Amino acid sequence: MSQGPLSRRHFVGIMAGAVAATWITGARRLNVSGIGASGSVSGVLSAAQRRDLDALTALIIPTDEDAGAREARIVDFIDRGLTSFAGDQRTLFEQGLTDLESRAQRSGGRAFADLDPAAQLALARELDAGKSEFFGAVRVATIAGFLANPEYGGNTGKVGWQLIGFEDRFGWQPPFGDYDREPSPG
Amino acid sequence: MNHHPARSGAPAVTQPRFATSETVDFAIVGAGAAGGVVARELARAGFTVVVLEQGPHLHKEDFQHDELAITALSALTNDPKTQPNTFRGSESEEAKVRPVVQYGRLVGGGSVHFTANYWRMHEIDFVERSRKGAIEETGFTDWPITYAELEPYYSKVEWELGVSGLAGASPFDPPRSRPYPLPPLPIKPAGILAERAARKLGWHAFPAPMAILSQPYRGRPPCIQCGFCKTFGCEVGAKSSTLAAMLPDAAATGRCEIRSLSYVRKIKLDKRGHVTGVKYFDSGKREMFQRARAVVVCANGAETPRLLLMSRSNLFPDGLANSSGVVGKHLMFNGYAFAGGLFEHRINGYRGMVVTRVIHDLYELDPRLGIAGGGGFDFRFDWGPIGFALEGLPKEAPNWGAEYKRMLRDYYTRSVYVLAHATQLPMPTNSISLDPKLTDAWGLPAIRMTFADHPNDLKLYAYLLDRAMELLDAAGATRRWAYPLERVFPEVHLLGTCRMGNDPATSVVDRFNRTHDVPNLFLVDGSSLVTSGRGQPTMTIQALAFRAAEHAGRLARRGELSKRS
Repeated sequence: MSQGPLSRRHFVGIMAGAVAATWITGARRLNVSGIGASGSVSGVLSAAQRRDLDALTALIIPTDEDAGAREARIVDFIDRGLTSFAGDQRTLFEQGLTDLESRAQRSGGRAFADLDPAAQLALARELDAGKSEFFGAVRVATIAGFLANPEYGGNTGKVGWQLIGFEDRFGWQPPFGDYDREPSPG
Repeated sequence: MNHHPARSGAPAVTQPRFATSETVDFAIVGAGAAGGVVARELARAGFTVVVLEQGPHLHKEDFQHDELAITALSALTNDPKTQPNTFRGSESEEAKVRPVVQYGRLVGGGSVHFTANYWRMHEIDFVERSRKGAIEETGFTDWPITYAELEPYYSKVEWELGVSGLAGASPFDPPRSRPYPLPPLPIKPAGILAERAARKLGWHAFPAPMAILSQPYRGRPPCIQCGFCKTFGCEVGAKSSTLAAMLPDAAATGRCEIRSLSYVRKIKLDKRGHVTGVKYFDSGKREMFQRARAVVVCANGAETPRLLLMSRSNLFPDGLANSSGVVGKHLMFNGYAFAGGLFEHRINGYRGMVVTRVIHDLYELDPRLGIAGGGGFDFRFDWGPIGFALEGLPKEAPNWGAEYKRMLRDYYTRSVYVLAHATQLPMPTNSISLDPKLTDAWGLPAIRMTFADHPNDLKLYAYLLDRAMELLDAAGATRRWAYPLERVFPEVHLLGTCRMGNDPATSVVDRFNRTHDVPNLFLVDGSSLVTSGRGQPTMTIQALAFRAAEHAGRLARRGELSKRS
C-alpha cells in the first residue's frame, strides 16, 4: 500500500468529478484492435466539426518547430473516443462544437477553423476564462491523447513522446542522465 | 478438496479448491500486503487456508506500460463507480459522495502497484507518546509492543520478500539483527542531487530501502529499470509484491486456495461468539459461505473496519469485535509536502525506479519547534508522460498553448521532486463508518470517511515543505515550486482504524493482532497501527503480519484458538 502518493492522486484528483475523466478512465475499455490497422476512423463528428475541433486542439498544443496536436492526430483520437469509450461525452462535444461555431460566426463571420489565428486564440481564451466544461474536456483529451501509447491513435509517430523527451525503451541502466555520469556536471 | 492448475507462475503449481462446506483452518479476507504474508506463513505451517480476494488474479504478463489504461483508474485499484465513498469534514456535516479511499483491488493488493519504499519504523514511533507527552484532542498513545519486539520480523520481511538496501547507511537507522539480503539499486540523477543537497545542509542521504530486487533472488529476476513502478504492476516480477514473492509459496504448499473475485460481506458467529466463517459474493454476485476455524481480516484500514461494522449481530450490536467502540476511529494516512525543481542538466527521471536516496535527518524534530512528529524526504520522479503534462509543471504555469508546450519540452527530462512523508496524529474524530444511505453495486453500505487534519499536523507539513524547498535550492535547482498543502484524496495509506493495545476498553486487537472480543478472529493490516510513523507503512504492516501468523499458528496447534488469551 506504500504507493508514493502524490502524482497519482493529483492525477486522479483532477479527474474526479470532471467530465474530462472519461478521456483517461474510459480509454482502457477501448479495444485497440477496433481502431483498425489502417488508422481509418469512423467517428461521429461531421467534417466541419472535425475541422473546428482540429483547430481547437492545435491551440492547446500548437505546432511550432516540433509537432503538435494536429500532427499527432488528436482529432482522430477524440472522434474515435466519442464513438466508443467516451460515448457519454458525445453530447458535450457536439454542443460544444455547435457553440464554438456560433461564437466564430458571431465574431468573425466564418467557421472557427477559418478564423485567423489571433481570433481563434481569443475565442479559446474566452472559453477557458469562462471555465467552459467543453474546453476543459478538450484540453484533457488533447493532452492525454498526445502522450498516450500510440495505439490509441493520438500520439501518431510518437510525436508527443519525442516532444517531451520520453523514450519508450522500458529498460535502462546507468547513467540515466547527466548527473550520474563521471564527472557529473555542477 | 480438489486440485486445479493455477493459471500461471513458474514453476506451475496446482492450488487446491476447497468446498465452502469444508471447514478450513483459516479464512483470510484480502490477498494484499498483509494477507499474502499471513496466507503463506499459515499454509507453510501446515494449515489449510482459503484467501478471499475481491479483485481479480492477474499475473505479470498482464502488466503493461499503458499509462492511459493503468494510471488512469481502477485497472488495479478499487473503482469509485461500483464502490463509491462519502466524505465529511466533521460529524455535524452531511457526507457527500467523493472518492476518498484507494487501495489495490487484486491478488497482491497495493503491493502490486506500490512504489516499494520499505522504511522500518524507528524506536521512537512505538513510544513517542510517553517520551514526548500527550497532545490534546488526539488518541496519541504508545504501542503495546516495542521496536525491539518487532525487529526480528522486520528482518524477516526483508529476507523473505526481498528488499534491497544498505544497513547502517543512515545514522538514524534503528538497530537491526541482519543486513539487507540485497545491495541497493543503482543511484539515479535525483539521488546524486539528494546527496549533494544533504551534504550542503549537513544532512545524510542514504540508499533507499526498496522492495525491488537489485539482483536475482529466490528464482526471481532483478529490476530492469523500466521506470513504471508506481501505479503499475511489475512485468518481470522484480518488485517484491506478495503476488510475486509470497503467494506462489503459499500455493506450492497445496494447502492454500486463493479465491479471487470473492467479496466478503459478513463474518458469521456462533452462539458463543466465535467466528464460524465468512459470507461473500462470488464473481456472479451469488452469496456463498466459507466455513473456517478462524478468520484473519487483512482487508486494509478502510475495508476492515467496514467489514466489522457490517458484521454486527445481537452479540455485537455496534459491530463485530467493537465492544471498545473504537472500530473505525483514529483513521490516519501519513501526511505529505511536495515540491518540484527544474535543473540545468538532464535528470531523465522517468528512466528506472522512483526513489534512490532518502533523508531521515528530520525524523525527530528539534523540540524547540513545538511540533509533534517528524518526517522523511525522498528525491523522486514518478510521473508518466500524461500525469506530468497534467500536473507536473509549476502551478503558475499555463496549462495549454505555446508556452505550455515549451515548458513540457523543457521540464520533463530536467525536473526532480522532493516528497516529505510525515507523521499524522491519531484522532478519535477521524473515522471510517458506514454511510447510512449510499450503497455499493452489491447493495452494501458505502465507506463514509470523516476527517479533518489536526493543527499540529498542518504546522508539521508546512515546516517540511519549507525544508523541501531548501533541499531543492541546495541541490542547485534553477527554479522550484511548491504544491499546495491541501490533502489530496483519494488517500492510499489507510491506518489506525482497529488499533492494537493491551486494554480491551480502548483498543480492538491485542499485541498479536487477535481481537480482544473474539478469540478466533484476527485483524492484520494498516488498521492495527497505533501511530503512523513517518511514512511508508507497508514494511511495518508486513512485520506485524509475520508475527501475527506465527502466533495464530501457535494458538491453533495448541487448540487454543477458541480460548480467550
